Amino acid sequence: MRIMSLLLKSCFRFSTTYVGSQTSLKTGFSSQILSFHLRKMVHYKMEERGKPNTLDYRIYFKTSEGKYISPFHDIPLFAGDDQENDVPTKKAKKNGNEIVFNMVVEIPRWTNAKMEANPLNPIKQDVKKGKLRYVANVFPHKGYIWNYGALPQVRVETNNISSPKTWEDPSHKDNDTKGCGDNDPIDVCDIGSKVCSPGEVIQVKVLGILAMIDEGETDWKIIAINVEDKDAPNINRIDDVRKLKPGYLESTVDWFKKYKVPDGKPENQFAFNGEFKDKDFAVEVIKSTHQFWKALTQKQTDGGAINCKNVSVCNSPFQCSEEEACSIVQSAPAFGISDALPEEVDKWYFLPK
Amino acid sequence: MKMSYTTEERGNPNTLSYKVFFKNSEGVYISPFHDIPMYADEAQNIFNMVVEVPRWTNAKMEIATKDKLNPIKQDVKKGKLRYVANVFPHKGYIWNYGAIPQARFACIRQASSFFTWEDPGHKDTDTGCCGDNDPIDVCEIGNKVCSTGEVIKVKVLGTLAMIDEGETDWKVIAINVEDPEANAFNSIDDVRRLKPGYLEATVDWFRRYKVPDGKPENQFAFNGEFKDKDFAISIIKSTNDYWKALVSKNSGGELNCTNTCVSYSPFLCSKEAAQAVVDETSPCGIADPVPSDVDKMYYYEKK
Repeated sequence: MRIMSLLLKSCFRFSTTYVGSQTSLKTGFSSQILSFHLRKMVHYKMEERGKPNTLDYRIYFKTSEGKYISPFHDIPLFAGDDQENDVPTKKAKKNGNEIVFNMVVEIPRWTNAKMEANPLNPIKQDVKKGKLRYVANVFPHKGYIWNYGALPQVRVETNNISSPKTWEDPSHKDNDTKGCGDNDPIDVCDIGSKVCSPGEVIQVKVLGILAMIDEGETDWKIIAINVEDKDAPNINRIDDVRKLKPGYLESTVDWFKKYKVPDGKPENQFAFNGEFKDKDFAVEVIKSTHQFWKALTQKQTDGGAINCKNVSVCNSPFQCSEEEACSIVQSAPAFGISDALPEEVDKWYFLPK
Repeated sequence: MKMSYTTEERGNPNTLSYKVFFKNSEGVYISPFHDIPMYADEAQNIFNMVVEVPRWTNAKMEIATKDKLNPIKQDVKKGKLRYVANVFPHKGYIWNYGAIPQARFACIRQASSFFTWEDPGHKDTDTGCCGDNDPIDVCEIGNKVCSTGEVIKVKVLGTLAMIDEGETDWKVIAINVEDPEANAFNSIDDVRRLKPGYLEATVDWFRRYKVPDGKPENQFAFNGEFKDKDFAISIIKSTNDYWKALVSKNSGGELNCTNTCVSYSPFLCSKEAAQAVVDETSPCGIADPVPSDVDKMYYYEKK
């Protein structure tokens, strides 16, 4: 009951503060208004519902004031945008001109559960053919070999920005996909030592990028490091990773190449011969996908009707009012002790060399 | 003979107080070192194995050979709980790791006698009786991640002869008989064929696992080659003789030979006395968290 009254209080406060912006809120993700609100916040909180390792498990995101937010629309891409105005925080430290990004961690290093967040939903475990999905352990790897997650406020548009050909040859003309983004965030591999938790929002330096081709679609994989990592001051470029963590980049390519083979899928391919492109290239990809995200969300706030064929955010629970968001979360099962992992998750697959 | 074992945890995991005691199917406290038979099935060469460290974990859990009733507890070095380093690409231990009971590797001469099989011209030096006194180590390669204190039945497949800080340290390679693929594994070659890379990774692991602690890389006898099943079984059998000698004598040296089931042993104690040993320890409590530096991954070029 107490939790319910706290939630209702925060709902009420929100609606009185932003009474002038109801339309934008209903249509979802006005970055202008919400980023103003978020400037007052430093920490994001998580609310777990249901039991881990079950179909009910969810991780909802909240601001420090208890307002439910979408991790991929309401958390700023650039870490500097969420500083408290008056109180300097740890996160304010930057290395000179270093750009620092927010990263939403979905999967802790060395775990197997395929936790995913997308702009529409809280973090939950992916389901395939009705079963909870766990990534296979492909020898010599155990689970994921980095903290794995995504950058907020970016969208990869299929057959356009996502195509490596665009980057190799700017005059290349891609098929027109009618501006329909696939709404995927960009994936990030955090190579720091700390094993993070699902839902943790960390600040990262981008080091480079890999262009994987997964089931026919380009899937960028950013290599980054948690700015709080002890080695972070010495790791600024992809070559530093090569030098200080020899073998890690090769393992990364190997991991992405083979991780679906135990599920009966073929090995994945890579653009650029599986080479890692450098930090500047990575930041360009991020910036353009950020622009694409902005364009998508602008369409909604410019007063026009949302074209649900083009933008799938219309189904988001967070694109409703705060009261509706509260009641959605409230109706989710209470947080409980996790179910045990199925034994087959421990299987170690040895693929022929 | 009905053989099922249970464990009783005492103290708090990840602290100095943590101990895992063993009980037999009659609820009597036993020593996992002395009271569990070496053989689950002697005719079939199926051995018992006491799992100390589950695959992919880091805490260095060991049968405490110097403590009464030899509970499993976490090794301590320089006053600190010991966690094995993650040496890239390995996360913790890469097999379920443990020991064969009623086995004791006593003497350097015992080790070097095997070298003479390799080279009959080899001269033994008499180093006195100073082996590491430990049970024989087993790397279990099945898919299941076992628990600390679990007693499983294993098929032996081969062995590696590591030289750790100057002492020979046999590493037996085995597979849980309950593994769904166990029937396909009958020799060290089957491991090579069905789990390519695993044996190489095993040598690599043992070679480098102490380097983050500032120790040198380990060496191996026989050029780091794995000896076959028959060789491994002979080694294990000889360690059984050394163990018998240990528990029959009147002085165990630094080892604690208290047991409740070895009828001919002068160290046999009553089940009440065993109960008293356990009662002296603190009851099981909540685990301390594992320190975050245990998650660090160490990278360096292989030599």
